[in-house]
This record gives sequence, C-alpha cells and structure tokens, in this order.
Amino acid sequence: MPATVAAIAEAITMTDPSVYTRKIAAFCRMLRLEGLTAGPQETADACRILTVVGMEDRSRVKTALRTVFAKTREEQETFERVFDGFFVSEEAMRRQAEEYAKREREMEQARRQTEEELLLNGQPMDFDDRQREAYATMPPEERQKLRSFMDRYKESAARNPDLYSNFIHSVFAKSILEQQMLMEDAALGCGSADPELGLMYRDISEFKDTEIPKAIAAIQTVAQQINGELSAKRSRGGRGGKLDFRRTIRKGLETGGSFYRLSFRKKRHRKKRLVILCDVSGSMVQFSEFALRFIQSLNHASESSRIFLFSEELVEADVFSLENMDKFRSYVKESGTYGRGTDVGKALQKLCTASPPVLNDATTLLVLSDTKTVDLPKALQALTEAKRLSGRVLWLNPIPAHKWQYLRSAQAVASMCHMAACNDLRSLSQACRRLAQLQD
Amino acid sequence: MKLEELKQKMDEAHYIYDDTLATVLSVALELGRPLLIEGAAGVGKTEIAKVMAKALDRDLVRLQCYEGLDESKALYEWNYQKQLLAIQVNMGNQDADKLTRSLFSDEYLLERPLLQSIRSEKPVVLLIDEIDKADEEFEAFLLELLSDMQVSIPEVGTIGAKTVPFVVLTSNRARPLSEALRRRCAYLYIQYPDVEKELAILRAKLPHVDDQLCAQVAVAVHKLRSNEAILKKPSIAETLDWAAALDALGVKELTPDALRHTAGFVLKNSEDLEAVQQLDAGEHACHCGGHCGGHHHD
Repeated sequence: MPATVAAIAEAITMTDPSVYTRKIAAFCRMLRLEGLTAGPQETADACRILTVVGMEDRSRVKTALRTVFAKTREEQETFERVFDGFFVSEEAMRRQAEEYAKREREMEQARRQTEEELLLNGQPMDFDDRQREAYATMPPEERQKLRSFMDRYKESAARNPDLYSNFIHSVFAKSILEQQMLMEDAALGCGSADPELGLMYRDISEFKDTEIPKAIAAIQTVAQQINGELSAKRSRGGRGGKLDFRRTIRKGLETGGSFYRLSFRKKRHRKKRLVILCDVSGSMVQFSEFALRFIQSLNHASESSRIFLFSEELVEADVFSLENMDKFRSYVKESGTYGRGTDVGKALQKLCTASPPVLNDATTLLVLSDTKTVDLPKALQALTEAKRLSGRVLWLNPIPAHKWQYLRSAQAVASMCHMAACNDLRSLSQACRRLAQLQD
Repeated sequence: MKLEELKQKMDEAHYIYDDTLATVLSVALELGRPLLIEGAAGVGKTEIAKVMAKALDRDLVRLQCYEGLDESKALYEWNYQKQLLAIQVNMGNQDADKLTRSLFSDEYLLERPLLQSIRSEKPVVLLIDEIDKADEEFEAFLLELLSDMQVSIPEVGTIGAKTVPFVVLTSNRARPLSEALRRRCAYLYIQYPDVEKELAILRAKLPHVDDQLCAQVAVAVHKLRSNEAILKKPSIAETLDWAAALDALGVKELTPDALRHTAGFVLKNSEDLEAVQQLDAGEHACHCGGHCGGHHHD
C-alpha cells in the first residue's frame, strides 16, 4: 500500500519540526518570487499554525496558509497557483515529470526542424534564439503557410538574393513577432479562472456583447470607489484646517464668552479642466466607449470636461449624447469619424489652433488612442505643441505596455508624455484613479 | 481554540459554515490576529463577527466606519464642555495643578468603541465594520491597535489592552486598503453561498417556512445572482426577507405572479425589476430552474 507508506513517512517527518520549517521557508521564497509579501512574521505564523493544523489534510493546510499569506483576492489566486505547484503529491510529481520530458523531446524535435526550415539560399536566416524558439512553437498550419511561401519565392531569391531575401525575411519576422506577442499573452495568464477577476484582467477588445453590461457594472463600482476615496480626502482637507477665531469668538458670545463650540476653516477647492481627445477609428471604438464611461463616472473629472472625437477629422462631442453604448456608437457614426484612418497629428493641430483656445495652463489633455497614426513625425510635432499649451498631457493606450517595444509610435509618444497602458479594466481603472487624483 | 471546538460552538449558535470558513476563523484565533473579511455587500461578513461573539460567549463592540471618522469618534474624546464647566465651577477653590490633573482623568474621558474594547475586563469581539468607508489616516491610526493592542492618548500616555479582543474588520472593497493594514490581519474573502448553503441558511433561520418554497427561493436567488442583467445582486438578508414575505402572504409555491408581487423584497432598483419583468415575458419566468415542475406554465 504505497499511499499508507507515504502517509506514515510524512507523519514521521512531521515529528521533526526542522523538516516542515525548511519546506515552509522554501515555499515563502516561491511566494516572494510571485510578488506576495511573505516576511518573517508570516513565515513564523505559518510554522506556528502548521503545528496546530498538522499536515494530514491538504485542503486544510492550504486554507490555513492562504489565510496567513494571501491578503487580497488577487493574492489568493496567486497563492493557489504557487501552492498547487509546490505541494504536489508523489503521483502528480511523476506525471509532471513525464509531461515535462515529453514536452522537451517535442521541443528538441521542433528546434531541429526549425534549423532546417529557416534556411535561405543554404544560409541560416538572421534570427536570434528567442525568435527561433517562437517559430518552433508556431502551430503547424502557420509554419506550413510560411514554408509554402518560401517555396514560392525560393527561385526568385536564388536569382536576386538582395531583393527577395529581405522580403522573405520580413514576412517571416512579422509572423514570428505575432507569435511572440501571443506567447507573452499566454505567459501573463490573460484568461483568469475566476470569471469576475477575469473580466477585470481581460483585454477590453475581447469582450463579448453579453459581457458588456457586467463590464459596465464593474466600471461603475470602481468609479464609485474612486469617487469615495476622493471625497474622503476632501472632507479630511476641510476638517484639518486651522481654527477659525472669528467664528469661534462669535459663537462664544452666546455662551457668555466660553468657547463651547470650536469652528474650523475649510480649504477652498479649485478644479482643473479636462480635455479628452478620443480616437474612434475602427478598432478603437470599444475601448474609447469604456474609457469615456469611466471618466464620466468620475465626479471630479467629468464636471468640467470637454470631449473631442477624432479619426481623420476632429469633432467636438456633446457629453449628453454619449450616455450609453448605443447612443455613443450612433453618435460616432453620425459625426462622420467612424471607421476611418487615424490622423493624430491633424487632430492635435486642430485642437492647438482652435479659437477660442481649448488648451491652456489649467487644462489636462487626455488622449485615448493606440498611437497608430498616419504621418508619425507630424503627430509628434503636434504633441509637442499641445504639451506646451496645456498644463499636463496624459495618454491612455489600449495596447499592453509589454508590446510597446514592437511599436515605434508607442515608444516615441511614451518618451514625450506620461502614457499608461489600459488594455484591461484593471489598468484602465488605475489610470482613471491617477487621473482623478491629478484633477482633484 | 481547537477547530473541532469552534465548529461545535458555531453549530450551537445555529450558524451555517463551511470547512474553509471554520479553518480561517480557527487560524485567526490561534494566531491572535485580527481577521479582515472582504466580499460583496450582503454575503454575511458582519454576521461572522456576531456569531463569533456568540460562539466565544463575548460581548460584541461595534465600530461602524464612515467618511470622516476620526479618533474622537472611534477611540476617545475629552468631554470638553464638562471640562470647561469644571474649570468655571472650581475656579479659585482648588490649586491650579490639581485642577489641571483632574481635567485629564477618567471622569472626563468619553470612551469610544476601540478604547472600550481594550479596557474591558472581559475579552470582547470588536467589529470594525466597513473599514473601506473610513479615511486612509484612520487606517494608519488603527495599525497601533491591531499590531500591539495598545493605543496612545497624548494627555495620558499609552494604554495597553487589559484583555485582547478578537478583532473582525469587514470591507466591501469600496477602496483598496493599505498594505500595512492587510499585513497585520488574517484574510478571508467570502462569496455568495451556493444553492445548498443558502437553502441550509433558510432552513435554519426560517424553520417554519415550507421546505419546497425555501428550495424554490434559494434556486431563484441563485439564478438572479448569476444573471448578468441584474446589477445589484440579492444579499442573504434579502433572501431571508423574501422567503419570510412569501410565507406571510401564504404563498406555497413561487409562481411568476408571486415573483412579480414580491420582487421588491429581493431586487432594490428599477433597472433590475425591469430586467426581471423582461425575463418574465420569456420562457421560464420563475427562475426556479425547473424545480417547480412546470406547474405554473399553463
């Protein structure tokens, strides 16, 4: 009975505290690597609690340790993953080892095949190891497509290597780049197991129609949080003011000169204006709708904001026409900006030269765009001018930050102004919280 | 307290729990850590503190948090008006030093829930409800109490706990809490109960209500919660109210009519009521998940 033997062995090891303290210490290191706070206090608590709970019941151990180490719902998710990876049964470990060995064998075979396939005119194509690895993980049908493409142009490449080699290389490079992006998405765990958490972490552009009401409800909840935080901050500002002597003395007269009730001064509050420049070209509509809804839910940001929609043209939007998704879409279509190309430079130029002026020192310019535009140099020049005219420029980009390295326009804009990645609701809410704080 | 003992006490308090909840409570008690409970509104966070007070046979001291809550409302306050009167009455009767000393004595100290909980002769359960509604400064102020079980009053000095309370903090996640506060607490996230647990709660809290009706209510509430069109999900308290209302009306079965007439007990905004009416026009309006056996679908 191997299970009984294993249980006895475990029971024996449990009598020696050094065994499980070492195990817990190693587990804490794993948790720290995953970004959880597992300090000496938590480690000591975990050891202490294990002596009470014991190691017999795996799910009880998991719950007890989760209580100690995971301090948010998100951390609980991470904890579960690390725990399941660390405290595995013997059988599971064997299974994992077998799967790993099988995967390695497959990878080795794919690597050899890659070496053969990435040959052009008998010479290896100019790709680094990471790119070759990405190529090796591509689905067979994608690789087959590339091989067919190579076969088609092989003879031409042999005749005119300078012209065709570069062309073939660029086609391969594009496919490999797309595969690298997919691999990064997979590594980031974009599809979370928890449906509610998943919605917050999933790419906004991937939302299905049925999920939109839920996403909007999530936005409203987060906006409510932000509003709550700011109003709490503001009320603190008032209460913490200096003693108002004049009022206190005047009230004191009612009680024969004794100051029974003290009055305090309240700070005056001045708000900044917000100008939102919103890209509504094709793929940007869904993101823009969510972002605008978010911003409009923020009391402090929305009260004094102006919204401009742009694609190839710039149109000022009527705030009341953007109340819900249907209205927003029909408004965008009527404005004549929907589904056209993107010209950020033209939109910014028009905004800078508008009369009466839209931008000044007291305005924050917020751009909602993926930075993809025609005539990038013109866009950057106009952005410089907009930055000079307005108090602050913020850019919300629906493309995740780890992909900016592949986009020249994103890199250039990020170097010129503060750009936040807002590909999912969580990052969008973080950016909006920051925006509301700046506006307050 | 051992886990089995805690489970027994919670059984005696007629509280429906699962193994995870019992283990977390036992861990928090064993480590002497405050317990931070997060979850949507109406999942039963506050109830846990009440049950723990019952199970541990302790008094419950409750501090309800809100925007602008400060130490004068949570910890202590000097009775300023009484001090002022004492100065006026005793002016010239006592020596000045003695008067000043007496002004900062227990006689003029108004104890608020936090101070009350650590100065109590018998240990209590301290419930700090909806901590997310309080300001960040208040959170920082709580750190001393939560980690060292002591508070500092400038005029008096540091006051240590006579007895250590079991502290329960609840949060609806209206704003993120600070890392420092979280680190000092054991953590529990609770979700809405599944159908079986909700049915068990209905049976325990409303033993006089017909079992079939309870089952239909539990299933219907579960369906409402999983319906994406419903924005404000029904809480456990609302489920209980609904079942009690149906019972008071003499309803034996949850028909579409009964649902329409009593939906206000479980759905609290017009959009949700409209959403249910739209569904009602659809194929299986009572959300009974087929449990009704199709009796009312004539």
